[in-house]
Amino acid sequence: MSHEVTLPFLGEDASDIATVSQWLVQEGDTVEEGDDLVEMTTDKAAFNVPCPVAGTVVEILALEGEEVKAGGLLCILQ
Amino acid sequence: MGSPFPDWIKQQWASGENSEFTKSIVSRLGLHTVCQSARCPNQGECWKRRTATFMILGNVCTRNCAFCSVKSGRPEALDPDEPARVAEAVRELGIKHAVITSVTRDDLPDGGAAHFARTVEAVRAANPGTTVEVLVPDFLGDEAPVRTVLASVPEVFGHNIETVERLYDALRRRKITFRDALRVLETAAAHHSGSIVKSALMVGHGEEPAEVRATLRDLLAAGCEAVAIGQYLRPTPKQRRVTAFVPPEQFKEYEVLAYQLGFKFAIAGPFVRSSYRSEELLQHLNPVRTDT
Repeated sequence: MSHEVTLPFLGEDASDIATVSQWLVQEGDTVEEGDDLVEMTTDKAAFNVPCPVAGTVVEILALEGEEVKAGGLLCILQ
Repeated sequence: MGSPFPDWIKQQWASGENSEFTKSIVSRLGLHTVCQSARCPNQGECWKRRTATFMILGNVCTRNCAFCSVKSGRPEALDPDEPARVAEAVRELGIKHAVITSVTRDDLPDGGAAHFARTVEAVRAANPGTTVEVLVPDFLGDEAPVRTVLASVPEVFGHNIETVERLYDALRRRKITFRDALRVLETAAAHHSGSIVKSALMVGHGEEPAEVRATLRDLLAAGCEAVAIGQYLRPTPKQRRVTAFVPPEQFKEYEVLAYQLGFKFAIAGPFVRSSYRSEELLQHLNPVRTDT
């Protein structure tokens, strides 16, 4: 069953946007819930986005350097 | 692609079941949080622990400080229902140490002080045993609003000095002076009924360690007992740039120094904020209320 990992909403106005700084996993990796998947940066700080469910990284959709809005797709897990 | 931040500036993005739970309660009750409005980097960590710092008096501030991303402009009318909803959120989240801050409301005769006091009272009434911390604006240095808030007897009364004296005009845009901000703490120290007096400042705006030391001494002289020091992080491009990323070791030095100078409680670190893990202060000191 595939699971779309999206960048969670933080704020009241859903204007959050972050840049993919560095993927910490690659396609094919097995991941557990809570593992750090990707480092994102905002104006304010750098953040790690944790893995929401255990599985395998099937496809990375947001590439390093890309901006992702809250709700935007980061990767697909199986 | 690298990160423009030093490696110690790394937090968790707010996600997961507990974080979503916190978010749903805040949203459903129509509340504002400084976590969201100021884009606090600790949101992930705190919301996962089902705690948030509520921001009352609306979400529009009558100031426009150079370091803060809270919406600035003409504020909304006060919502008389807000205290009850904050109390309800504290109850649903099971918060044991509630922290309440606000925007600045220079448009209100009392700066919102009565509404603040009602919020403390509502939280306490709905949550016996929960301690309450307030982080108030400067009320333009006036004594009466401070005393109004103190009358609700929060366990902790905080007003953030924010920065050193030399940078005051630049950061606070001449709306308030360093001395008037200290006056809030002096008033609190002189008139409280057992509340612990607390302040906090940011570093990373170009202040010298000697200036931070002087500020700590000024806070103590004003009657401040607890202090928190954190790294300024630029919320959006509209706020001023970070002048320096102060290394973790320097924060440790500030913390040690604060205790040496006589603070009863001090915490310093890049992600430390006034509200961050604020229950730790009371775990170290005697609270006003001893009943649980």
